[in-house]
Amino acid sequence: MKIGSRRLRLQKRSVLTSWQAASISMLAIIVALILFGFVFILAGINPLTAYKEIFSYAFANPFGLPLTISRFIFLLLCTYAFIIPYRAGLWNIGMTGQLYAGTLAAYAVLFILGLNEFDSTPISSLIVIPLMMAAAALGGAGLGSIAGFLKGKYNINEIVVTMMLNFMTFWFVSFMIKDGGPFMNPGGRGESFDLPTYLRAPLIADIPFTIFVALGVGLLIAFMFAKTKIGFEIRAYGQNPAAAEYAGISKLLIPLSVFIMGGALAGLAGYHYFAAVPGVYKIARNYGLFGDLAFYGIICGLIAQGNPLAAIPIALLFGGLSIGGRFVQGKLGMSFGVDFALLGVLMITLVAFQFFYRYTIVWKRTSKESIDVGVLQ
Amino acid sequence: MWEFFSRSLDASTIFLVAALGELLGQRSGIINVGIEGVMLFGATLGFVTAQSTGSYVLGFLVGIAIGGLLGLLHGFFSITLGGDQVVSGMGIWILGFGLTTYIGSPFTGPLGLDRIPTILGLSPFFYVGIALAVIIWFVLAKTGLGLRIRSVGENPTVAEVSGINVAKTRYLCVITGGMLMGFAGAIYSLDYNPVWSYNFLMGWGFIALALVFFSMWNPIILLAGSLLFGTMWQLSLNPQLVLPGVLSRYIWRMIPFIITLGVLLLMSTKWFRSRWGAAKPEALGRPYLKD
Repeated sequence: MKIGSRRLRLQKRSVLTSWQAASISMLAIIVALILFGFVFILAGINPLTAYKEIFSYAFANPFGLPLTISRFIFLLLCTYAFIIPYRAGLWNIGMTGQLYAGTLAAYAVLFILGLNEFDSTPISSLIVIPLMMAAAALGGAGLGSIAGFLKGKYNINEIVVTMMLNFMTFWFVSFMIKDGGPFMNPGGRGESFDLPTYLRAPLIADIPFTIFVALGVGLLIAFMFAKTKIGFEIRAYGQNPAAAEYAGISKLLIPLSVFIMGGALAGLAGYHYFAAVPGVYKIARNYGLFGDLAFYGIICGLIAQGNPLAAIPIALLFGGLSIGGRFVQGKLGMSFGVDFALLGVLMITLVAFQFFYRYTIVWKRTSKESIDVGVLQ
Repeated sequence: MWEFFSRSLDASTIFLVAALGELLGQRSGIINVGIEGVMLFGATLGFVTAQSTGSYVLGFLVGIAIGGLLGLLHGFFSITLGGDQVVSGMGIWILGFGLTTYIGSPFTGPLGLDRIPTILGLSPFFYVGIALAVIIWFVLAKTGLGLRIRSVGENPTVAEVSGINVAKTRYLCVITGGMLMGFAGAIYSLDYNPVWSYNFLMGWGFIALALVFFSMWNPIILLAGSLLFGTMWQLSLNPQLVLPGVLSRYIWRMIPFIITLGVLLLMSTKWFRSRWGAAKPEALGRPYLKD
């Protein structure tokens, strides 16, 4: 494109500084929010009013803020479940299935200890809660390991595998909690038995303690990628699997371990949502709606460019947007799924912006002019 | 039993048409992992249009058109911008899942139109699907256009040198492919199961993707695979037809996905791999940019 004596042209980036990446990511989010404004306009709502409602409910409302933070913890864990395999160049879109597996495993602990019965003898929460969390991590890791193993050993496309596992686990949850399944609520409401009140995850200022787990995990991941051998191997595998193999990095162990780590974190996200978020405390009948929110993790991970610390503010923002979106949907009388629509718009905008991580637009004097200058000199 | 048989063929048709769309794109070197999203869009907008206007024809046209548009979008990201095709496909899937949830929610429930009449007891789309498979097989294997498509999928640099417009050929394939996926979605929501509910596809698109890998990019093998999976899907919905009272209905719903995993495992055997490697479009998934 030519404007005056200057030309607009695309140039491949040789390096992308973290500041540049951050500004592109922020720009992507802003553009997505502007685009999403059209959804409000089409629904006959002033987008500015809508965004004001969303942000004030999500971040400045005594009812909204705890919800935002609970959602943030969930999204952050899902993001990490995506990021670790992503750094190895692998796509974990199985967070949904892994979090169901983790949830089922956590509830299985209660089931095995007999705590699902109405008149069960209480067991100290100091024992049961860690057991539930460990089981959740193991459950998620177990499901994740299937995808990692199939990728590492047989080179089977992990996207298809994790998606198949998602659907399998989805139906398995239905089996467990509906139609007389083992975890069914005695009241027969098509949901799981309730978590005993004393086993609800402790709250600190209305916030589940799992926030420390999520943030701690973030620091650990950052440390792992920066300082440890396995972190280095994961990154090397992600950049060039063939070269990594040549350098003696196992073609089986890397996919397996990233999916085990990712799955474990998704499993913890499941524990968080179904056993730690105030107001839930059971596997709800519409668990699919919660599980599908895990896909926000993909977007957070992509926008953060795989950086676990950058993911924190992004997950907080998206947590707020999804909570606020659900709120304005009710308040302004929009149809169901505003938060899902936002998910879609954010994702596609981000995909379009991927281009700018690789290219930059530069202004250049047209070549004719520079030749003239050369002649004069 | 006839009911089960015809429903199985209906289900097979949807797998077939969607997977044919994917196959066409992949043969030209472009992988679209977002089939499910394109199908959701075709299904939802087709459903909304048909219910609002009372016209099936308009519903199908809108479904096909939105599929073509999404194919164009995927083409723009992966051909013109030379981006990562998996990222773009994922984007289209999540866009489809998210936006159609919002768009379709007010229309939750049955379509409320007379059912599409059958021909010799089978859905008319079954015949359309078979015809499409044969046409695509013929075009790919026997015509000059097919040769051009295959050559841009194998080696775009050589194709370009020999005078083929790589970008144009690929656009043609991904747009046509998108139209087929949108059409498959519309068949689902207007004929196979004319009821709108939240995220109703539940994996059809991803199974179609697996089917394309399984077919070794051959439309005729794809046809056979679709018949197998369509029957299996229908069986998982009606287990009482073969094994009444055995296993919960929810466990049966898991079976198509377990079998898909089994098929993928089978494909990783050495015997299959060597044939698969030979059949795989060489440039699949790799961006091609002229400098």
